[in-house]
Amino acid sequence: MLAIAVGQLAFLLTAALMNGYGEKFFESVTGPMVGHIQIHAPEWRENRSIDLTIGDLETTLEALRSDPGIDRASPRVFCPVLAALSEEGLTGIVVGVEPETEFHEMGLLSGQDPAGHLGDHRVLVGYGFARKHDIEPGMELALVGQDIDGSIANDLYTVSGIVFTPVDVVNNLGLVMSLEDAQEFLRLEDAAHEIVIHATQPDDLISTRERLAVLPALRGMEVLVWQDVVPQLVGMIGMMDWYALIILIIVFIAAAAGIANTMLMSTFERTHEFGMLLSLGCGPSRLSRMILVEAVFLGLIGVAAGTVVGLGFVLATSGTGIDYAALGGSDQSYDVAFGGLHLSSHVYPRIRALDILAGVSAVLLTSFVSVIWPVLHISRLEPMEALRQ
Amino acid sequence: MEEGARLTRTRHRISAPGRVVFILIVVLCLLRPCAAGGDPTLAEPDVDRLLEQFDALFESSGTVGRVEISIVKSEKTRTLRMRMWSQGDDRALIVVESPARDAGMATLRVGKNLWNYLPKISRTIRVPPSMMMGSWMGSDLTNDDIVRESSFRDDYTSELIGPSTEPPGWKVGLDARSGAVGLWDRIEVVFSSENELPVQSQFFDRKGRLSRTMRFEDVRKAGGRLIPMTTTITPEREDGRRTELRYLDIDFDVELDESMFSLSQLERNR
Repeated sequence: MLAIAVGQLAFLLTAALMNGYGEKFFESVTGPMVGHIQIHAPEWRENRSIDLTIGDLETTLEALRSDPGIDRASPRVFCPVLAALSEEGLTGIVVGVEPETEFHEMGLLSGQDPAGHLGDHRVLVGYGFARKHDIEPGMELALVGQDIDGSIANDLYTVSGIVFTPVDVVNNLGLVMSLEDAQEFLRLEDAAHEIVIHATQPDDLISTRERLAVLPALRGMEVLVWQDVVPQLVGMIGMMDWYALIILIIVFIAAAAGIANTMLMSTFERTHEFGMLLSLGCGPSRLSRMILVEAVFLGLIGVAAGTVVGLGFVLATSGTGIDYAALGGSDQSYDVAFGGLHLSSHVYPRIRALDILAGVSAVLLTSFVSVIWPVLHISRLEPMEALRQ
Repeated sequence: MEEGARLTRTRHRISAPGRVVFILIVVLCLLRPCAAGGDPTLAEPDVDRLLEQFDALFESSGTVGRVEISIVKSEKTRTLRMRMWSQGDDRALIVVESPARDAGMATLRVGKNLWNYLPKISRTIRVPPSMMMGSWMGSDLTNDDIVRESSFRDDYTSELIGPSTEPPGWKVGLDARSGAVGLWDRIEVVFSSENELPVQSQFFDRKGRLSRTMRFEDVRKAGGRLIPMTTTITPEREDGRRTELRYLDIDFDVELDESMFSLSQLERNR
């Protein structure tokens, strides 16, 4: 029974960790940087030209936010700039955002203090950029870029704070300002370069995209689901799913081997007792049924125990998460940047009903299969021969 | 006997049309060597001399001029008028005079360094090396073009490719020397066979793709020199876009105070 419980526990823990990791990766992809759906002017993604914009922004946002399938629509402006504290120019990127739509959980500035950091020529500087160039709040930055007409855009901004975002490129190059300030800087009237959509139904993005693409406000615009925006990450997520499946199969095989070994041993070690029962008049078929029922009860109890312990572990860690760095002996968490995304060493285990069902089915099946051979052996057992063992 | 004599006379007689054809063939054979380069004005040029002249085309101990740059993008044209001063091959000052929005902006080059002065914010900012390939003033010229730290003679190996038909002239191929740092892996320049001035330059990136074409036109005498007064830069893969640079006036060997090419002067005079 213990082997069965341990097997179920191992299966559930592995599934919970893989689910948590996959979920975090998916959130990183479809969270702040990419969203579920993106809207751009045609060719903007290829050449990032300042003058390729989504016009009539206010009207467009109104149309999007009135759609019941849209949770949030976040407009953004991007522009490469030279930033200078003194004479030396530093390469950076201006990111113009609406503060109120970016401070939520899936926003670019999630977790930041929203109180009055943007607007009135104030900027938030990405953590990596600030650290590299010794930039601190209160300093004045000169920003030089190119506006929509091709003229030199230049102005002075005050650093209001340092920002740490889930998007690596913003951390290392970003100068975040309000959308209005960015539009003024680049002479963009009521326009933006990108609108990032978070949908209420992430599982039904294709129909949401098709519905948005025919909106009059988006005529001529490029409306893409995240899989089209970052196809390389789609491949990665697919690989991760296969990776998780392989891990689960390996864990299942290990658990199954332990369960089968235990069941076989417990049956063959009682050959003498079975011989006694046979000699006392218990028929082979009745004996076989006894063994099968025993396997069923042991399996059910073992699976239940393993499930309870597994659920308890997940509940205990789903809030705080598990720090892989700490498990590896490090005293500091780490953050890894990959493909512009920011991945943390913290994983939050997640378990689904399907995982429990899969574990229960697999473990029970293993229990039953492992007693077939002993049952066949018992059915052909000679009582006197068994008693002599 | 008489018949044989008659036959002999017939064999050696050439008809009138045949004589005309024969003469034409002779004339054509005489002309062919000239068309192939027998004319001394089409003799192969000295590539080193061509490149030396190209490097020094607008250089002098003191060059002063006014320039108009038109940046054409699709259906929009933005025109800047500038005043420029340069000394030798490593100092230059360019000040924007119009339009009013950009007036007062200035670019100073000293050696390999480039600064931009922005009157709106009263700041001077040095262009970092990572931005040298970036656009200068929103045009198709790069900051590296303005700095011109590379020399055709010193940083490239050259070879005469041969005559060019479009545009007509002599085509010279330039390949970046190993270790030379710069964007262009290869440049092909066509020089006029009449005045040995550059007619066209084509720039190829490190993948061997044509990146942009410069055409030098409107050759006139200015400041005592024969120079192309108009340069047109057309980037590849960007339909409808080009930059036209026109010298409105230019003078060479003007006495200039070296101190004008300094940051303090850059800001003070604006």
